Amino acid sequence: MNRQHATRFVGGVLAGAALMAACGSDERAADDAEAIDAAPAGTVTVYTGRHYGIEPVFDEFTAATGIEVRFTTGNDPELRERLIAEGANTPADLLMAADAANIELASDAGVLTAVDSTVLTDAVPAELRSENDDWFSLSQRARVVIASTERVDDPPTSYAAVGDPRWKGNVCLRPSTHPYTQSLVASLIVAEGEERAGEIVQSWVDNDPLYINSDTDIYKAVADGECDVAIANTYYLGRLQTEDPEFPVEIVWPEQSGRGAHVNVSSAAITEHAPNPTGALQLLEWLATDGQQAFADANFEYPANADVEPNEIVAGWGEFIADLDAVRQLGEFQPAAVGLLSAAGYE
Amino acid sequence: MTDATTLRQQARTLSGSIVVGAIAVTVAVPVLVIVWSVVQPSTDVWSELWATRLPGMIRDTATLLVTVLAGTIVLGTALAWLVTAYQFPGRRLLGWLLVVPLAIPGYVLGFVWLDTLQEPLGARAVRSIWLCALVLTLTLYPYVYLFARAAFREQSQRALDVARSLGCTRLQAFWRVVLPMARPSIAGGAALVGMEVLTDVGTVRLFNVSTIADGVLRVWFGTGNRNAAAELSVLLIGVAIFLITAERLLRGRAHYTQSGTMVGLRVSRLRGWPATAATVGGWSVFTVAVALPLLRLVTWSVEARRSGQTETVAGDLGFHLMSSLRIAALATVVCLLLGMLLTIGLDRGRAGGAITARLATLGYAVPGPVVAIGVLVTLAAIDRSGWLPDGWLLVGSVIGLIYALVVRFLAVAYQGIDSSVGKVSPSMVASARTLGAGRFRVATRIELPLAAAGIIAAAVLVAIDTLKELPITLLLRPFGTETLPIWVWQATSESLWMQAAVPSLTIVGVGMVMVAVLLWALEHGAETVS
Repeated sequence: MNRQHATRFVGGVLAGAALMAACGSDERAADDAEAIDAAPAGTVTVYTGRHYGIEPVFDEFTAATGIEVRFTTGNDPELRERLIAEGANTPADLLMAADAANIELASDAGVLTAVDSTVLTDAVPAELRSENDDWFSLSQRARVVIASTERVDDPPTSYAAVGDPRWKGNVCLRPSTHPYTQSLVASLIVAEGEERAGEIVQSWVDNDPLYINSDTDIYKAVADGECDVAIANTYYLGRLQTEDPEFPVEIVWPEQSGRGAHVNVSSAAITEHAPNPTGALQLLEWLATDGQQAFADANFEYPANADVEPNEIVAGWGEFIADLDAVRQLGEFQPAAVGLLSAAGYE
Repeated sequence: MTDATTLRQQARTLSGSIVVGAIAVTVAVPVLVIVWSVVQPSTDVWSELWATRLPGMIRDTATLLVTVLAGTIVLGTALAWLVTAYQFPGRRLLGWLLVVPLAIPGYVLGFVWLDTLQEPLGARAVRSIWLCALVLTLTLYPYVYLFARAAFREQSQRALDVARSLGCTRLQAFWRVVLPMARPSIAGGAALVGMEVLTDVGTVRLFNVSTIADGVLRVWFGTGNRNAAAELSVLLIGVAIFLITAERLLRGRAHYTQSGTMVGLRVSRLRGWPATAATVGGWSVFTVAVALPLLRLVTWSVEARRSGQTETVAGDLGFHLMSSLRIAALATVVCLLLGMLLTIGLDRGRAGGAITARLATLGYAVPGPVVAIGVLVTLAAIDRSGWLPDGWLLVGSVIGLIYALVVRFLAVAYQGIDSSVGKVSPSMVASARTLGAGRFRVATRIELPLAAAGIIAAAVLVAIDTLKELPITLLLRPFGTETLPIWVWQATSESLWMQAAVPSLTIVGVGMVMVAVLLWALEHGAETVS
């Protein structure tokens, strides 16, 4: 009977799928139990919005201390929402963020805990940790002006100068959906006030920029002649220079006669309800001291700890003044920055 | 009929309604949690949005929606008719291959074409809404193609013969008989396309297109204003409901069923230049949507292999693949079972039934990241309530993740099953009911078996959707579960296209196998029904 045949077929597919699911679960049943119950004793659990080159650093920590680290990656805002929603049930001991605004917003939401550790306060300068020491920077990422070495002789030396009409049609910028753009504008508001910051953003928009949602692609666009100048993070150049030492794009440190180049930070904090606060503190202290070199070098960033030297390629870009004063206020001014970008018609 | 049987039937109907209502509410809660905040509208955010980005968002969303819908309907229907009604060299193979784009996530096709066209077109020209629409059309047309093809296959040659005997040419018969009869199916496929376009956040961002879905995340994550983001989501749900209503209206009161012995459409052989045109046309769609992007991915994969980037710290390819398959299988089984229960239990004629169906499929009208957070908030509240056994947490568990995926994709299962069951002749159902069979018995013995092919198709669609899914899995996955799309995300969020090639290719490969199952099932189903 055809009809019965069809019924059997559906049944077969269902059973097959169920079986596949069941077999899969058997294999990993141990892990599932682990997810539902607490982490194995002593393990430090990390939610991290920074996921590039993070694993070798954790491995090094485990090798040095014997403490296991398990982590889950994600986007900063979503991990923050998860931490807030989970409340006292969170398995997370440590929250790591790829930018300062997001960790500050987590702090505002009351899901972080203040730490009293001289190891941390000695290692991380005051400007690079929150006022009540509930989060700490682990590395600095500078967002700078970049220019073609082949076509540009006198590149802009300030963020405002990128809005100079002479660059019209030759500017590459990252869309306003990205936190890097948002925190750069937040730093402009901190330094120059909302009105002036609005004028600067407007002058960028008036230059009809090419919006590219990837810093690597922004560098490539400058190299390929799509634009002459752009704003991007320095560490992507590190990656590109490892592949091609002659990559035809240079870093121009902006605002060097004033507040300094905009820096954002990679940051970390112990959560309010950390099941393993001792282990979390150990990991945090290690990251700010012995682990600094590995942490910063993994991504060509500047160490937060002043005693640690940047990697060779990074050091080759020269010394610069960094706008450290704004770091702690980036979170506070991010909503204003988003509003300002919208008002200017920045994509 | 005695009073006792009537009573028993009423009791059954009631218990059926309760089951269906319970499913619908359970699935709708996470979305309603988010929507709830609209009760206190944040007017200042709205006026600011209206003055700045909102008009642009609406314009971009409308442009994208209209273009992609038009593109997928034309492309999907034309290709389906081509491979159903005509014989030309390579027809069978092409018929299968044309479904393959379903297996390619939009964001993957997007980044491949973006990177490929960047040089010839320039970085500025390549980031356009039209290219975005093209990429979405190329990944989404299979929805229409599949439904249209199934509809064409189910049609009887007799109707066409009658039309021909009344003096219609083959083409006229297509416009006047075949197409109107396939309209409900095409509309069903188009509705799925519309939902995918409305809720896409991965592809549009690659091309700098600011849709409403993109705006939800922009507002939420940029300003931390959950209320305003929720209000934008409601706008999105409004558009989605409009789409679904339009689809229902398109189905109309007209109801086409086949009766009598089925004689499938006769295939006519193309020769000469029409054969060449058909072959070239079909294959060029496949080339642009599948072959060239695959070639690019393979090249990148080889490079990645050479530089030792074919695994992540979490594990190798096999590990990611198993994670993906396990999640997809579990989610599919649950979606399928619930979808069938809904189809059986829902009285489509009643107003209450329509509302329940809307509730159960709400999750498909909201972008993935919004569903993810809705589920997160809901499950976390249960975790905190103390209702669960000690040590049990739903957030970060397999159960939580599967639940979230069901919230998002139940609509796909339900739509597929419901539309197939809807095609079962009402007279057959009525006969069975007259003979005393209850609702459940009619469903399990007549409707579901007859709709088997449609059910399998729905299962495969859900499986492919979950296989490609990113935002929900990213936020809610248990420790130790790392799917292929997460690997792709880890690489592409750092613009490391090359590293994304191996997992992307694997997603496409698995998807292709599923597509093969899908087509085999459809052909099998067509035979069984006839």
